[in-house]
This record gives sequence, structure tokens and C-alpha cells, in this order.
Amino acid sequence: MGIRTSFSEATEAYQLPRIVQLGPNLYAAAFMLMKMVPARYILRRAADEGRLEPGTVIVETTSGTFGLALAMQGVHLDRRVILVSDPAIDERLHRRMADLGTVVERVSPEAAKIAGGYQAARLNRVREIMAEQVSAFCPEQYSNPDNPRSYAAVSELLLETLGQVDCVVGPVGSGGSMCGTVGYLRAVLPECRAIGVDTHGSVVFGQPEGDRELRGLGMGLMPANVDHTTFDDVHWCTAPAAYAATRQLHQRHALFMGPTSGAAYLVARWWARQNPSALTVVLLPDEGHRYLDLLYHDAWLAERGYLGLAHPVEPTPIDDPTRLGDGWLSYEWGRRRYDEVVGVAA
Amino acid sequence: MFADESGKLRRALVTLPHSDRGSRAVFYPSQHHWGVVGTPELTKVRRAAILTLREFSTHPAPAKGGQIEITSDIPRGIGMGSSTSDVTATIRAVADYHGVPLSREEVGRLAVLAECASDSIMIDDRVVLFAHRDGVVLETLGHRLPPMIVVGCDTEPGARVDTLGLQPADYDDREIGAFGVLRAALRRAVATDDVDLVGRVATASSRINQRFLPKEQLEELLALCLGYHGCGVQVAHSGTVAGLIFDARRPDATPGALRCAETIEGMGLVITAMIGLPAGTVATTTVSATEKVPA
Repeated sequence: MGIRTSFSEATEAYQLPRIVQLGPNLYAAAFMLMKMVPARYILRRAADEGRLEPGTVIVETTSGTFGLALAMQGVHLDRRVILVSDPAIDERLHRRMADLGTVVERVSPEAAKIAGGYQAARLNRVREIMAEQVSAFCPEQYSNPDNPRSYAAVSELLLETLGQVDCVVGPVGSGGSMCGTVGYLRAVLPECRAIGVDTHGSVVFGQPEGDRELRGLGMGLMPANVDHTTFDDVHWCTAPAAYAATRQLHQRHALFMGPTSGAAYLVARWWARQNPSALTVVLLPDEGHRYLDLLYHDAWLAERGYLGLAHPVEPTPIDDPTRLGDGWLSYEWGRRRYDEVVGVAA
Repeated sequence: MFADESGKLRRALVTLPHSDRGSRAVFYPSQHHWGVVGTPELTKVRRAAILTLREFSTHPAPAKGGQIEITSDIPRGIGMGSSTSDVTATIRAVADYHGVPLSREEVGRLAVLAECASDSIMIDDRVVLFAHRDGVVLETLGHRLPPMIVVGCDTEPGARVDTLGLQPADYDDREIGAFGVLRAALRRAVATDDVDLVGRVATASSRINQRFLPKEQLEELLALCLGYHGCGVQVAHSGTVAGLIFDARRPDATPGALRCAETIEGMGLVITAMIGLPAGTVATTTVSATEKVPA
């Protein structure tokens, strides 16, 4: 049986999380770059199926870590990557993508003065770019079923490492990681609980769209890859509470993660304490480098009035997810479809 | 479907061994007649004998042909691996005549050549994920399965399934992803002697199979098993048998298994096996599962 061997390429080394025990019944699945899981799977599968010819350009709308993962995999595949982003893209991330040879286009504020705003303007620009290319491939992380499918590898790792998983807590964006990981775990553990972590102003679980301070969490448009019937509970977190939890994750466990990880940790820590006999896993999607000058910087927190804030120690249960609320809220979703909960189709 | 080392997908299975039953093959060599004689229903056995004889064609004193006699106490056509048992016994008998031991893997390769799809009973020294149409071991999952009691039953008494007549299951991407998860879980279950996890994996695999060769009573049998603190249900993916799995280390396993067997008979199904019961629990006639050659 297996001796340890090398990784064939860097993206392979990047994709799987480290499973770290945080408490008696709480384990973290700490990723360096979680989006590498779907990015690598989708691109390698496209290559295997002959959809990535030598001249094919990979085009996607993203301003986040999925773009970075595509840029990295593009190096291994020797394919050009063009990413369409809005002006708010993180400068450090942009510099890294550019160094990987990826072209990042930012749509202008003028172009975004249409219905659907930046998200619509970016999608329009992706279509234009694809039409200009002789051959182009768009991974479509929000609707491509290969996104959730790619997380079978994470479920394998969790089951082999832990055997029993009673609850998975994780942030929800495209829906791929939570719906994929839990969906595959439930092949063996049908009762495994799924707790999705969202933020105020995100439409994913029925809230009206609004400003979202917490980057990487929540969506303005409903992603097709969110299978709402996955979720037993949903929590909404505020940005300052997520920042504080991110710092605690670092200070108490030396895990240097981003704020979506902090939001998930906040909820998982509470749930694991409430349910001491349930083995709980929290998905921590990416590392904290981009946030060193932000939430890891006390002066930055102080400027916003976030330093030293007292945060609630438990969520406030609500009975209508579509009503605007404040603070840390929780709702018993009960593995229902979106229209069963909200009353209208997503 | 499981990925091999190169990432290629292969059909594969893990066999639940049943050491109380078996086949005995007797090989009567001939130096005069080419070909192998046997009863007409034993096509796979004759093919296995001929393939094995071919392996020994460079032997100093090879048999040219011969006759094979099979005695077996394994029910046929219900998914208990009767034909693989016959074929394995035959290959070992012919090899034994030539005084040359074949490795377990070699027997596995010949068995698949002879019958296209084989269980992995010939690889009896460890638990393997066996590519049953390629005759290769994809992974050794561990030394042995944890101690289990299995109540086997035929879910369609009287029906017969012809393995080769079955269309290989057309698994979708989601099912193939799930198989990878089952493989990882079983790896852990074997390494940690966790019968509960073995049972969960078996149940999950049985449920996936419902789309292809459904067992009408699967959920009923599962509820029965779990009701007696059992661990899960395994099924034949090319047959009609199902097995209720119990952790043999638990004190209530034996009474639970016996009560389940009664209930199953009450459902009109036929008990095909009681594997792993402590000696003396019930009166059974056991038949040696070795395969010997004549002097």
C-alpha cells in the first residue's frame, strides 16, 4: 500500500484541504484555495473531452479565487485565460493573475449602468470575448454541474479521515462546495446535516438583494448550482462578526484564513458546542493573505468601528428568511426547495 | 466504476467471502485427447480448464486435455458467485496437477478470461477492489473484513440472473462520483474494523444498484436489519441475493440475525446463508470449500 509520492503539478497539491481538529467534536477542512477543486476538475475534464484545443482561450467572469485557480491551471495546460472582472478586483489578486499570464479585463462603471449592473455587464463582455475567439471555453462555475461534482474528492477525504460526519458547515456562494461535498457524503451518511452560511443582502436563501460588505460570500443573482434541498439550516452573518471570528481562528488555532472561513467558523463553533455528540466539519475556503491589510490590521478595523465590538454568542432564530434582519440570524430550512420556503421560484 | 492508477475508469467490486460454501473440482488428465470434457452446463469451467492447460504447454509433462468434475453446494444463478467458484476450483485443480502453484492474481486473470466477469474469491488473503471484467486488483483495502454476521436471502426465489446476459450498468457521473466516496469509506472501514461503516457502504452501493437490478424489498430488509441493530444491507449486483450485515462483536448480533432470518422467511423469501454465526448456534451442514485434485 501507498508510499508517499510527489504531486504531478502544483494545482494538484493545492486542491485538497488539510483536516485539522479544532475541538473535541469540531474539525476544519482548511483549503489553501478551495476553488481549485472545481477549476482543475472542469478544465481537465474539458481537456480530456477535446474541448480545450491548443488555441482555445478560457474565458470566465470572476473577480475572485475561481479566477486565480483558472489562471494557475491555465499555466499547466498552456492555455490563455481571460477573466472579466469589475473595478473592485483585489489588487494583489490581480497582480498574481497577471504574473500567471492571465488577462484581466475590468468592465467600466459606464458599461455597468444597465439592468443587472456589473454582473450583467461582465456576462455581456464574456459573450463578446468568446465571439471574438476562434475557439473559447467558459467554465461557468455558477451553472456547470461539474462544479458540485468535483467535490466528491473532498467527501472521499472526509470519509476516509473521519469515518463519521454528522454535520458540515460552510459558506455558500456558487453552491458547488456545500451541495457537492454534502451530496456525496450523504451517499454513505444520509442523515449528515448541512448548515449553509450566507450574509445579509444575498439572494441565495431569500433575502432581498442589498450591499454586501463581506467579500466572497453571498450572491446578487441566484446560482443554478445551489441545490436548496441540501440545507438543513441557514445562518446569516455580519461582516464585523465574521472578521472577529476570522481573527479568533488565527489567534486560537493558528489557521490563517479569509473572512468567509471566519463566518463559517463562527457558526460551526456554536453548533459543535450545542451538539457535543455530533462530529462537525467546517469548510474553510481560502487563506488570509489578501486580508492582511484589512481585517488582520487593527487600525483598519478601528477605522470602521469594528475593533472591540461585542458580538452575539448565538444566533437569533427567525421564521421568515425574506424579511430583512440584522445581526447573526438562523433559519431552519429543512432541506426544502427554494419555492417551498420563499413561495416563489428563484 | 472506479479510477485505476492512471485515472482510467474500470468496473470493479468488493466480494463478500462465504467460506462455508464452495466448489470442488476434480481434474482427470488425459495424454491422448485434446480438449476438456465436462457436463454441458459447465461451459465456463471447460474454458477455464483449456486456458489453464495452455498456460502449462511448456511444462515438461503437460496434460493434453482431460475431464473436469465439479461438485458444489453454491446455489446457481442468484449472485452467490457459483460460476467463479467453479472456475477458480478448476484453474487450481489443473495447476495442481502440473505441480505449479499459480499466484492468486494469476488465477484471477485466468478466471476473467474464462468467464468475462469474476468475483475476487481467489484473492483470499486480503480485501481487494477487483476489476471484475479486467481481472486486475485496483486496490488492496486491507488485510481482512471486520468480524461480521451476514444473513443472506434470495429476494426472488426461483428467478435466475445470467451475469453475461446482463447489460453492464450505465452509471452516470454522479453515481461514479459516489463510488469513489464508497471506496474511501470502505478503505477506512477495513483499516479500523468498523462494521457499521462497512454496512453503510454496502447499503449505499445497494441503493445505487436499484436503478439497474432492483431488489423490491431492499428498504424493508434495511429497516429490519437496522431495527435489530444491524449495520446495513449488501446485494448481488448480478443476482437476486441480499445480505443483512451485523457486527459479530456485539452481544445482540446473533439473536438479532436469527430473528431477522425468521422474519425474512415470513416475507416469503429464502434464506441462502448464515455467515459468521458462532459455532453451534444453528444446525447447518457445511461443505468444505477446498478444491483438490486426485492422486
